[in-house]
Amino acid sequence: MERISSHQFVVLGSAVLMGTTFLPIASIVTEVAGRDGWMSVLPGFVVGIPYGLMVISLLEQYPRKNLLQISDIILGKWISKIIGVVYIFIMCYFGGLLLGQAGDIYQSSIMPLTPIGMFYLGGILLVFYLVKSGIEVFARFSEILFPLIIIALVLNIGLSIPRIEHGELLPILSEGIRPIIWAWLKVAPFAMEYILFLAGILTFLPTSKRELVQLKRGVWRTVFLVGFLNMLVVLIQILIFGPGETVRMVYGLLVLGKMVEISRTVAGVESVFLGAWLGALIIKAGAFFFTVTWGLETVFNLKGLKWNLGVGVIFMGIAFKFTRGPDLVMEIGLVDNYLILPFAAVWILTLWGISRWKGAGIS
Amino acid sequence: MGSWMKMIKELTIRPKGERQIRKSPAYSFDEDLKKPLSGQTVKEILSKSSDVVFREFFLQGKDRIPCMLAAVDGLVDKNLLDQFILTPLMVDLARHPELTQVTLSNVVDKTLQSLLPGLEIKKISKMREAVDAILSGDSVIFFGNLTEAIVVGARGWANRGVAEPITESIVKGPREGFSETLRINTSLLRRKIKHPSLRIISLKLGDMTNTDLVITYIEKIASPDIVSEVLKRLSKIKMDAMLGNGYIEEMIEDNPYSPFPQISFTERPDVLAGKLLEGKVGIIVDGTPIVLVVPAILTQFLNVNEDYYQRAMVAILSRFVRYVGAFMAIVAPSVYIAVTTFHQEIIPTDLLMSISAGRQGVPFPALLEALTMTVVLEILQEAGLRLPKPIGQTIGIVGALIIGEAAVTAGLVSPLMVIIIGLTAVASYAVPTFDLSLAVRLIRFPLMILAGVLGFFGVTVGLYVILIHLLGLRSFGVPYTSPIAPLRIRALLQDTFVRAPWWALKRRPQLMDVEDPRPNGKG
Repeated sequence: MERISSHQFVVLGSAVLMGTTFLPIASIVTEVAGRDGWMSVLPGFVVGIPYGLMVISLLEQYPRKNLLQISDIILGKWISKIIGVVYIFIMCYFGGLLLGQAGDIYQSSIMPLTPIGMFYLGGILLVFYLVKSGIEVFARFSEILFPLIIIALVLNIGLSIPRIEHGELLPILSEGIRPIIWAWLKVAPFAMEYILFLAGILTFLPTSKRELVQLKRGVWRTVFLVGFLNMLVVLIQILIFGPGETVRMVYGLLVLGKMVEISRTVAGVESVFLGAWLGALIIKAGAFFFTVTWGLETVFNLKGLKWNLGVGVIFMGIAFKFTRGPDLVMEIGLVDNYLILPFAAVWILTLWGISRWKGAGIS
Repeated sequence: MGSWMKMIKELTIRPKGERQIRKSPAYSFDEDLKKPLSGQTVKEILSKSSDVVFREFFLQGKDRIPCMLAAVDGLVDKNLLDQFILTPLMVDLARHPELTQVTLSNVVDKTLQSLLPGLEIKKISKMREAVDAILSGDSVIFFGNLTEAIVVGARGWANRGVAEPITESIVKGPREGFSETLRINTSLLRRKIKHPSLRIISLKLGDMTNTDLVITYIEKIASPDIVSEVLKRLSKIKMDAMLGNGYIEEMIEDNPYSPFPQISFTERPDVLAGKLLEGKVGIIVDGTPIVLVVPAILTQFLNVNEDYYQRAMVAILSRFVRYVGAFMAIVAPSVYIAVTTFHQEIIPTDLLMSISAGRQGVPFPALLEALTMTVVLEILQEAGLRLPKPIGQTIGIVGALIIGEAAVTAGLVSPLMVIIIGLTAVASYAVPTFDLSLAVRLIRFPLMILAGVLGFFGVTVGLYVILIHLLGLRSFGVPYTSPIAPLRIRALLQDTFVRAPWWALKRRPQLMDVEDPRPNGKG
């Protein structure tokens, strides 16, 4: 049985939570909260903390079991099967959309003449190879790539600072607090994607008392690190483009990458940044691929190469259904808001509540 | 003439069915080895080889005992043999009447206790032991028809002695290197680590070659799991010939299909000592100056022993240059292809104009141009490698200067491409380990093709595939990418990308589970 350390859990979790959230987040929150959108980012991610802690506490109670297996124990066979089917469907669908996003990003930014299918193929090959290599390799992949993604992000932000216009941020709270709360709701699904990944990875986590404390601390660190970085991304885009342009540009950070120029020599380095962003996407899509395979194994006892290949084909099929960028972005938003957020929020809260209630009853 | 014809006949005409038996060459030999020990049988087995000599004589004790000494001419020290074996038995015994109590029944014990002064001397009673000892260079004395014999160690053969290693030359540090003789190599190691916990375990491999090898490690530092895994894998090797370390390497490595080396090697006793002090295990094979060291991790192939003899700051700079060189050797041609084919926007305008002017008139796409030039480079490297040194240098000059210049003048390749390929070649020489530089040369080709088809996306996908492959590799249970992933922060900061000053190396770099992580582990 493969195992990952608590440090790897933190890094892998951060990489999954981060994913490519930094690409569309500025547009999403600014659309709802205008120039105050950046304020909603960190609170939106913080929603992940109580849910993450609930999942870890369930792990404490049911060691070496994922949330689907725990559902089986707590909610019974049939309800857990239905939950399992919904879980697999959501993860598979969203994973396919993320694969589509890889193609969309590359085609729309630097390689418009290359057939989009080539990007899907490259992406799914990487995801498949990662999944085949196992969760330990996946964790190590994140250990190497996550720092690179952070460096690329910080560089992208840092090199854009000369273009900042301070006036874009003012006046603060001109629309009141209500838009910020609505924007906060738009960010919360990002945290829930991470929570759904946690639901599957539980079987690979250490369960000793000391390590459980580290895992809980890890959830805090993950959420705050990713939330803070995303907040910076939103802030810089608003400061450079202004709220109007930020809403219009779905992948504003790519545009920032295009604008980077050092000493009139190095310019147009977005293709280099895209290498890091592709890594982030692969980690996120890989995480969803993993959860689908765990789900299939837990619910239907389906495992092995042919089922993995099947999942890969479905991912490709979903990606091919949304080859138009705007359709894809809209679909991702819909799945996030109307599937992932309610499903994760209700499922985990219910499981945790019942387990606590049962635990209290027993004691 | 008649004897020649007889020999040829014996070798060519065989009775029906013999072919089947000869499928396993050691078969009939094995049968002989199962017989009870006797000098006569040993003579029958080995007398067909002209280099095996049999010296028959009488030992004059209470009884007159017929004796026979068997040895391989060229593998024994004849002076030792004369002075310390034949003289005591044939001459001294006759001069000392008190020893005339020697009879056939006690001759073996008396010889061991009183007659032979040598250090390496022991009694044997099995046919295989006797034959193995003779063929390994020891001398065996048989007494009458007794089923016991005495092995005397009087080995001595021509060897090139301790010389400076060719593949690991350094500026500042010891000059001695391993040689082809196993015992010289173990003695060199023992001179470095004068501690009782240094373990040297002897083994033999190869049914026909009977090659001696030793496994060496430091008890309390090396993980017992790794030591037992090495022994387990070696014990599984079944082959006729074991002529060098390469045979073992492929048989015991974790992933034989990977282009990346998973076992490191060294020619230097100081390097081996250092590795053993890190908890690794060495495999020294007789007949080769190359010592295998396991487990191996990726970063150690980019670090050289010179780093430990230089000041820390200089070592850090050298390492940085090597890492950059390795990265350039992998990606330089593919980045050039991707940039010129897909991503011209990344090039500053002035440079773009210059590149464009250089490429004017070149009839090939960048991919084909780069592939051709890289293949030519590979041919030049391969041609120069095995030629005598002066000719090899000439080949390099002819290839690099004349062919390159001519190709540019003829308009077959652009000048920038020649620069890129030259840069790649120079960068690949910065990879200090030969095995790793081969892997770098190999993975360059698919990356170039990916760059030509999919630009930076292809290069990124290719690099990620290589990364995932590396992350999945293990060497004797240790992750190949350790200490970067899984992260071992102390090892990373002490001795990976940087080499901390000696005074800061408080504990051993923990790449694997070492038993005793005491200070200043490196030797």
